[in-house]
Amino acid sequence: MTYRLDQQPLEWIDRGRTVTFRFEGKSLSGFAGDSISSALMASGHSLLGRSFKYHRPRGALTLANHDVNALFQSADATNIRGDVEPLTEGIELHACNVNGSLENDRDRFIGLFARFMPVGFYYKVFHRPKKLFPFWERKIREKAGLGRVNTDWTEQRTPKRYDYCELLVVGAGASGMQAALTAAEAGADVVLVDENPHIGGSLDYQLANEPAATGVRAALKDKVRNHANIRLFEQHYAAGWYTDHYIPLVGPKGITKLRAEGMICATGVMEQTAVFRNNDLPGVMMASAAQRLISRYAVSPGHRAVVLCANDEGYRAALDLMEAGIELAAVVDLESTPQRGSWAQQVTDKGVPVYRGCGIYAAQGSRHLQSVQVAAFNGKDCDPSELTAIDCDLLLMSVGWAPASQLLYQAKGKLGYDDTLQQILPRELPAGIHACGRVNGAFTLEQRLADGKRAARAALAELRGEFHAESQTLHRDRQAHSHPWPIVSHPAGKNFVDMDEDLQLKDLVNAAKEGFDNIELIKRFSTIGMGPSQGKHSNMNGIRILAAIRGQSIDKTGSTTARPMFHPVPVSALAGRRFRPERRTPMQEWHEAHGARMMEAGHWQRPEYYGQPEEREQAILREAQAVRSRLGLIDVSTLGKIEVLGPDAARLLDAVYTMKMSTIRQGMTRYALLVEDSGVIIDDGIAARLGEDRFYVSATTSHAAATFRILSQTVMDLGLDVRLVNLTDSLAAMNLAGPLSRELLKTLTDVDLSEESFPYLGIREGTMCGAKVRLIRVGFVGELGYEIHAPAHKAMEIWHTLMRAGARYNIRPFGVEAQRILRLEKGHVIVGQDTDGLTNPFEANMPWAIPLKSKPWFTGKPSLVVLKERCQRRLTGFMLPQGYSGERIKECHLVIKDGDIAGRVTSIAYSPALGRYIGLAMLDLPLANEAKTLHVRVDSGSLVAMSPCKTPFYDADGKRQTADLTEVA
Amino acid sequence: MKLLDCPLIGRRPISEFDYVGEVRKPPVDCDTATWAAFVFNRQGAPSVLRERWYHRPTGYWFILDRDTLTDEVKAIVDAREVRYDIPA
Amino acid sequence: MSWKLLKYGFKRSHDEPRFFPEPKELKSHYDVVIIGGGGHGMACAYYLAKEHGITNVAVLEQGYIGGGNTGRNTTIVRSNYLTPEGVKFYDTSVKLFEDLSDEFDLNIFYSTRGHFTLAHTDSAMRTMRWRAEVNKHYGIDSEVVGRDEIGKAVPYMDLECAGHTPVMGALYHAPGSVARHDAVAWGYARGAYNRGVEIHQRTRVTDIRTRDGRVIGVDTDRGAISCGKVISMVAGSTPRITEMLNLPTPIEIFPLQACVSEPVKPFMDTIVVSGSLHVYVSQSSRGEMVMGASVDPSVLHSTRSSFDFVEGLADQMVDLFPFMSRLKVMRQWAGMSDMTPDFAPIMGKTPIEGFYLDAGWGTWGFKATPVSGKTMAWTAANDQTHELIEPFRYSRFADFDLVGEKGAASVGH
Repeated sequence: MTYRLDQQPLEWIDRGRTVTFRFEGKSLSGFAGDSISSALMASGHSLLGRSFKYHRPRGALTLANHDVNALFQSADATNIRGDVEPLTEGIELHACNVNGSLENDRDRFIGLFARFMPVGFYYKVFHRPKKLFPFWERKIREKAGLGRVNTDWTEQRTPKRYDYCELLVVGAGASGMQAALTAAEAGADVVLVDENPHIGGSLDYQLANEPAATGVRAALKDKVRNHANIRLFEQHYAAGWYTDHYIPLVGPKGITKLRAEGMICATGVMEQTAVFRNNDLPGVMMASAAQRLISRYAVSPGHRAVVLCANDEGYRAALDLMEAGIELAAVVDLESTPQRGSWAQQVTDKGVPVYRGCGIYAAQGSRHLQSVQVAAFNGKDCDPSELTAIDCDLLLMSVGWAPASQLLYQAKGKLGYDDTLQQILPRELPAGIHACGRVNGAFTLEQRLADGKRAARAALAELRGEFHAESQTLHRDRQAHSHPWPIVSHPAGKNFVDMDEDLQLKDLVNAAKEGFDNIELIKRFSTIGMGPSQGKHSNMNGIRILAAIRGQSIDKTGSTTARPMFHPVPVSALAGRRFRPERRTPMQEWHEAHGARMMEAGHWQRPEYYGQPEEREQAILREAQAVRSRLGLIDVSTLGKIEVLGPDAARLLDAVYTMKMSTIRQGMTRYALLVEDSGVIIDDGIAARLGEDRFYVSATTSHAAATFRILSQTVMDLGLDVRLVNLTDSLAAMNLAGPLSRELLKTLTDVDLSEESFPYLGIREGTMCGAKVRLIRVGFVGELGYEIHAPAHKAMEIWHTLMRAGARYNIRPFGVEAQRILRLEKGHVIVGQDTDGLTNPFEANMPWAIPLKSKPWFTGKPSLVVLKERCQRRLTGFMLPQGYSGERIKECHLVIKDGDIAGRVTSIAYSPALGRYIGLAMLDLPLANEAKTLHVRVDSGSLVAMSPCKTPFYDADGKRQTADLTEVA
Repeated sequence: MKLLDCPLIGRRPISEFDYVGEVRKPPVDCDTATWAAFVFNRQGAPSVLRERWYHRPTGYWFILDRDTLTDEVKAIVDAREVRYDIPA
Repeated sequence: MSWKLLKYGFKRSHDEPRFFPEPKELKSHYDVVIIGGGGHGMACAYYLAKEHGITNVAVLEQGYIGGGNTGRNTTIVRSNYLTPEGVKFYDTSVKLFEDLSDEFDLNIFYSTRGHFTLAHTDSAMRTMRWRAEVNKHYGIDSEVVGRDEIGKAVPYMDLECAGHTPVMGALYHAPGSVARHDAVAWGYARGAYNRGVEIHQRTRVTDIRTRDGRVIGVDTDRGAISCGKVISMVAGSTPRITEMLNLPTPIEIFPLQACVSEPVKPFMDTIVVSGSLHVYVSQSSRGEMVMGASVDPSVLHSTRSSFDFVEGLADQMVDLFPFMSRLKVMRQWAGMSDMTPDFAPIMGKTPIEGFYLDAGWGTWGFKATPVSGKTMAWTAANDQTHELIEPFRYSRFADFDLVGEKGAASVGH
């Protein structure tokens, strides 16, 4: 049986394009332009889903994405909102949250036990005995959730776009289109956004058959579409309002992040349910839903209808039903003496019985509405003593509206309840935020158009800093379109307030009775408004109910916070394209081509070692040995490199670093230790003096940016005459290390490398491969060695040259791991490995770097004065016996003394030079001073003994860093 | 995303800035308690706070008075106003 | 079917007693005033009444019960901290949590899930081992696990992390749990109320009065109260309270944001945290994916949401869980984190006699709810800082004796 109507004047479907799909195993078809729900309803499926808790049959309710009765699952996605998701060819759909099939949901019997599940019941049961809770929890988890995730789904990411406009208008109904147009005609750059595939808003469904709207509709749409100043975003929703008018517009192809100067909310109103028994049966729907179904999709919502109303809009819907050929059995008006307009008159004229002062006491039917019980309604409740049954398969609810004011709340607008309109309306809106149309209480077409113009004028005046005097209340209607209490009790319940959460009237009453009687607590206890539609069809009734319970006004009762998102936003759209910036040294390709295993160092990649993973340990040892015995080359381009220029350069470095830098002789370097105000070590490097007013400092890879920032902040704070140049990227660096380094290097540079003219810790400028380079005699790995700092574009050539020329010395590139061993042999600390977030220099065993007496000031000095006296732990060297072959000690294994934690291993490695394991441990005092033997607890839990010792472990007097090969050989 | 007015190149998204915190001048020649208070204690209550922000793309520092309750920038302050001296 | 459900079902009317009292007037005097009706405040009131017999107590809450960070956190409970003092403290909390449902006769849905803290770098691996070793030393079930074990427990996670920062291993903490955060506050509140404590919602403290360096009362927007002891348990509002007393603290307020997806059928049983990617996720009993990241970068006393937060989170989350790109984020929110320089709380006595502070919770307040209540109640009852919270004393900053918790990951929920 088809429910498809004859062609409707404004229909969205394309009858020339049939779309086939499968639903619960059946082949069906619809038209292009159908939503999933409309196609199903056109095929006679009024049962679209099952409810969250009781698995009750559910059909179309709002058809506006204000409920989640119709949720579907496809091979590629879940929680698909059938009411608004376009039908696509070949899609195979199943209902979400059913056990078995939608028709025969085995969990539908849960509903029979609803009386055993009062509000918040889960807080009161299952926890005794404690042991059984995991069992119950498993059971609950089986029933929880809606759609099913397929963890094999592949990643989806959609690109993001950015846009800007002067004025954003949200909602392209009558008032929104008018506002956009008025603003555009005044020269403003306007973006008009609407979540529907087509603009028009309620003009196109609620007023589809209204002759007065025809001309307005055509003119507005035409002008809006063709105005050069208006950019239209159809099928996009404004997901939220964020600081400084930042509004993400979410559409089928992703997010456009829009920055606006101002925003007009023409977001309209959301129709609210009437609350009565079985108000969730398929066949019971919002009047606006039926109008959408007819006008947009040409689908008949039923055959014989009753309309429950409390406003003119209900009569308009009744006329629309008749226009579509649906039999209208009756109109039930909650008001006994309603002031209704011409639509009501037309309904009466057509001979339709109108029950005034009546409500629906209950709807009846098992899977679909079969009849309704009409009873007298006194504004508070129905009188069930006299019930009139009316057979019908369709009941429209037209009892009131809630403003779509989410964006206004997010923008910190103040709203309040208006007793005339029985609706929450804007009171005070913040700068740049305006509202018009039904969200602002303008209901007739004339009011809406006038209000749109007014809002546009107000927004423009504000943008241009002009005065604007029109009140935002000017065009509000003077009669209610919402009933203050569209709620009918029933001893058997099932009068639902929130369809998402299967919440009945009594659930809210009982939650309040238990003390959850303010708006936030009732929400949290009952979960009203917490479901996927976030209270769009339920919050207003929730507030009304709570206000009635408390005997308070709606304003006093308040409303819950409207948090983003307006509709849920796909993670794929939020994630956007994957963007992971990487920094590459000039030598990175060479490393990769030569078998380097790379490791992350912030945004950089550094060679960990060169070789096959299965030979990792040997490869690292070979590299370390090459440096000790001959020659190695490591890429250290990732170090921070900062040029410090100007008359106050030395003063700056004295202020920032612990050691005195103003006394460095030209051509020499000094260890540069950086601590915070608190005395905690944060970075180290070297400072080199190139001239009286010219220094060059280095920083560790991970702290390079922060060190530059600290230097530049100090320049500003002290008002120094210093210029800083961050050379981290423009200079590459490599360390040529090993006893043969001078031998090799002297053939490749014009710098005099003799010990006398270029001593240890010296820095020289010269050329290599035709490029200006700086050579620094460094000692980190403890061999004669030269750090070569060269322009990035020449670095590869220099590296090549060194590798080629070094071939005769068996030069070997080495990675970070070998460097870690070599520096450990020298007892050098790695900041961040041997230190933690609280380590000070005394604890790091570097008192020599803290000249408390000779320097009047440096950052952190006053703290270090205190900390020197309160040192509680100290970094200490240790070694294992030669030939140790027991269980491996790892970094961060604990040192145990008398059963208590007394420290931890911060570094450990097998030293090829010493032929044994060596390491550093942060030990509590006085243990660090006194211990003859330390015990470390390894993975198995057993204790391994090791001996504390002095550092450096290797070449304690530093001969190898200063001496010629011939002298040490 | 919030915008900040960079004195050099106008309104920029806040993600371009590093937040460094309240402008604080280290006390000189003070007792330990005063120093510890400087190092650790902060003006934690909502207020108009004079703060340092660092604009990474330009390397430019600026000082601004920001209301930490409303997130409104009240003033952009000349860096010279917050200079201090250290013992030489 | 539980017997209790049957009982509910066959009762004719819903005659469940109130959890919380009807609002009534403030008395002119209380022995103890607790500022803050969140989990901590309610727990403290509960233990004051239950364990110390102090019942002339008022809890003053400017909003509603549990409406601050109690209702805004992502409900994770764990004890895998780095420092001995942190481990002992949070382990006590976990043990209290385990029995709360029974103690309250209210199901707080305390659900032990297992907690993975992923390491993507070797330095993160070192930190994980450090935490594991300290934990094991104190009998806490934590261990460093490799990729294989992670892959078995969370088979749908992309250990390669889309090829950029592969997972190297993790700290696995079997007792890691989640609980219904609201219910914890409600349970304590009901227990305190039933023992005679007064709970006053929508009551804002406007000043704290002292004489000769000791507390004598508080002023509220509903009138003045005299009292001998005031306990401030207001997390993100702490500086507003301490300012009333000119009591300086290191606390700065940074927003901490979170979001949930639409509900889907439960598939994820574990809690997964990645410090390097700054994300964490678990699945609630309603089926929502509960996700969060690190605190916002600048000080702000606001619970506004930002879009960049949820964008960044989604971006990183998809690297770990590619299929989650097909889910939708339903709601986002924020709380105000009271951060300290050493990532440890400030608890116990203060230089002002009769004023006790429970603050500096940063991102870790929820999991400390029971133990904070218990130790602060003891501290106020005895006017002596409880030994478990001695390391967190107010004076530690003046003494340069900080807690070393900062060594742990920057994201550690």
